[in-house]
Amino acid sequence: MLLFLGAFLITQNFHNQYYYLAAFTVLQYIILSQGWNILGGYTGYVNFGTGAFFGVGAYTSAMIVKTFKIGKSAPFLELPILFIAGGLVAALLGLGLGYLTMRIKGIYFSISTLALAFVTVTIILNIDALGGATGLYIIRPRKIPFFTNYMEFLFLVMVALSIFAVAFARYIENSWIGRGLSAVRDDEDAAECTGVPVLKLKVFATMASSTLMGVAGAAYPYFVTFLEPISTVSLDVGVNSLAMPLIGGTSTWAGPLVGAVLLGIIQQIALVTLSPEYSLLVIGILLVSFVILAPEGIVGLFRKFRASLKK
Amino acid sequence: MKLLKRFRIQNIVGFLMGSIFISGLFAPSVYAAEPLKIGLGMALTGGLAAAGKPAKLSIEIWRDDVNKNGGIMGRPVEIIVYDDQTKPSNVPAIYGKLLDVDKVDFVVSGYGTNLIVPAMPIVMDRNMVFMTLFGLAANEKFEYENYFQIMPSGPNPLTDWSEGFFKLASEQNPKPKTIAILAADSEFALNTAKGARMNSKKYGFEIVYDGKYPPGTPDFTPIVRAIKAKNPDIFYVGSYPPGSVGIVKAAKEIDLSPKMIGGGMVGLQYTSIQMNLGKTLNGIVNYWFWAPEPTMKFTGIEAFLSKYQSEAVKYKYDPLGYYLPPFAYAYVQLLGKAIEGAQSFEQQKVADYIRNNAIDTVVGKVSFGKNGEWAKSRALQVQLQNIQGNSIDEFNRAGKMIVLHPEEVKSGNLIYPFPGWQ
Repeated sequence: MLLFLGAFLITQNFHNQYYYLAAFTVLQYIILSQGWNILGGYTGYVNFGTGAFFGVGAYTSAMIVKTFKIGKSAPFLELPILFIAGGLVAALLGLGLGYLTMRIKGIYFSISTLALAFVTVTIILNIDALGGATGLYIIRPRKIPFFTNYMEFLFLVMVALSIFAVAFARYIENSWIGRGLSAVRDDEDAAECTGVPVLKLKVFATMASSTLMGVAGAAYPYFVTFLEPISTVSLDVGVNSLAMPLIGGTSTWAGPLVGAVLLGIIQQIALVTLSPEYSLLVIGILLVSFVILAPEGIVGLFRKFRASLKK
Repeated sequence: MKLLKRFRIQNIVGFLMGSIFISGLFAPSVYAAEPLKIGLGMALTGGLAAAGKPAKLSIEIWRDDVNKNGGIMGRPVEIIVYDDQTKPSNVPAIYGKLLDVDKVDFVVSGYGTNLIVPAMPIVMDRNMVFMTLFGLAANEKFEYENYFQIMPSGPNPLTDWSEGFFKLASEQNPKPKTIAILAADSEFALNTAKGARMNSKKYGFEIVYDGKYPPGTPDFTPIVRAIKAKNPDIFYVGSYPPGSVGIVKAAKEIDLSPKMIGGGMVGLQYTSIQMNLGKTLNGIVNYWFWAPEPTMKFTGIEAFLSKYQSEAVKYKYDPLGYYLPPFAYAYVQLLGKAIEGAQSFEQQKVADYIRNNAIDTVVGKVSFGKNGEWAKSRALQVQLQNIQGNSIDEFNRAGKMIVLHPEEVKSGNLIYPFPGWQ
């Protein structure tokens, strides 16, 4: 609540658009990486298809904006509706994926999620109502009451969503669900034998994970104002959502948060400071270094450091 | 010794004070001309980098030209470019940084519709002039009055793009009757195919084949065979570079020889592809933006191309640079001339000047219509003729890319019907 109030005060007193635009991307990745970690970190199922869920959320939201035009009559209600719709449709896709692929494990599951991203692109390309390859324009409102700019409002909503995503992941991690998911990750057969409802938990994890990804996607159309499938359902989204928890640490909710904030900020700084080649090189080196030097992520490294201090 | 020390200290202090005073005298002339900052995001890595890098070079050539002549209204031009990595999601933050942190005076767009549109809300919020580079109908939904687009597609981009091709076909005797349309499943190609369908109807051609192919199609032989089976009089293609090469090669291989072939093939304008295809290009009629024909020698174009070509060799960019570079130079040149014409750095005054005046650039005299597109289309239809081999000298002079349309820049006549593959 304090964080949200702080963010609200910032929007009322600070009007430099750049920081809101850059922060939007970082917040988007906080939600995505928390989503990815529920399935990839807690449950051990590596998902390369984040782009598909993100894209489904984005297209759902864009279609609602274009069809119902809620923004004009209820500007404050529009975004929550978009998030709920984007999250729900992505959750349905997650449910489908869960049932279809949950008997597949390891790399085979990962490849099927990658395939899902390609299938999603192909489907969007072939549906004219979704704009196909020519894309969809989504014009965001230029003004909204209480804010000097719509982007400030979008930023505030993203802060709220990020807090929700972190709290949701933390709740799962600390509840019986999280313990069940850990049991599935460590040894699925043993978990099944000891009475853990493995299939139900896996389907729940897939749905929870994809809901967060869909919610993150639902905000994207108003940010970028133009959707086309190749850049929306992009492998970049998948790779970033995976790299951030890996860098931060996958075993706890703090890992994706730290990874997303760190990598997200570095990427935003590199975008406007380093020359293009160096920018990509620095990010690549950082990723490799973290994987080698801190295989359990920054949070793991921090825990080790604290343990060694106690000794 | 003490005296000596004091003397030295006094000397040093005196020297410093004198320096400060003298530098103060000269300071106004040094700092009077605050740079005119122009900012943009450009695809310097990623899928569009091959076009984005030469575009950046062209903008820098313009900056140097202007600064050599004393800048714009006495202010030297400074260009701030960030790499958008060909990712639309990077564009909003880049323009936010340019406007709110770098405090640029003007912004221009990156290359292509996908990378123009994400910057629009930010530019519109500030009512700024927005010169853009090769967006296809990007302002159709926004209807932003200070948007100006340099690609000469015309006020109705969808149909104007292929209007010349269809007009030429309709003027032939006997008039062709049937047409096959093939397009890549991508934004530009689908739009050009849509325009081709509308023009087919307008000029009374019967569409006997209307298909699309996924980008990345490795082999076009089955598609081209299917088209050959329909025996169309015209084969209109909307394609990207890999598809353009693949379709030309497949058509040659199975000898698909309609009476007219080409239309909206991206890539045939690139020197590397021209050198790859060589004589095979003879007879193809395609859209073009600039060709080294006597009718296209606008003021400054040759001087620009000479500078561009000497630099392009160093970086291994397109060695001739006839496609995008002149327009990348022109869109900033036009902005600079508008500032001088309006005698103001105010956004609205500059925008009004652009809207109300025809401005001379290296790509000709440009005036804009209501939607920020060229008031009158100058999408060229060019036929490749007299190509004897694959050397670069085949493509850097007049007589090879014959301009057939529009009439005011026409440089030769159409060879009709298509003479067959060589």
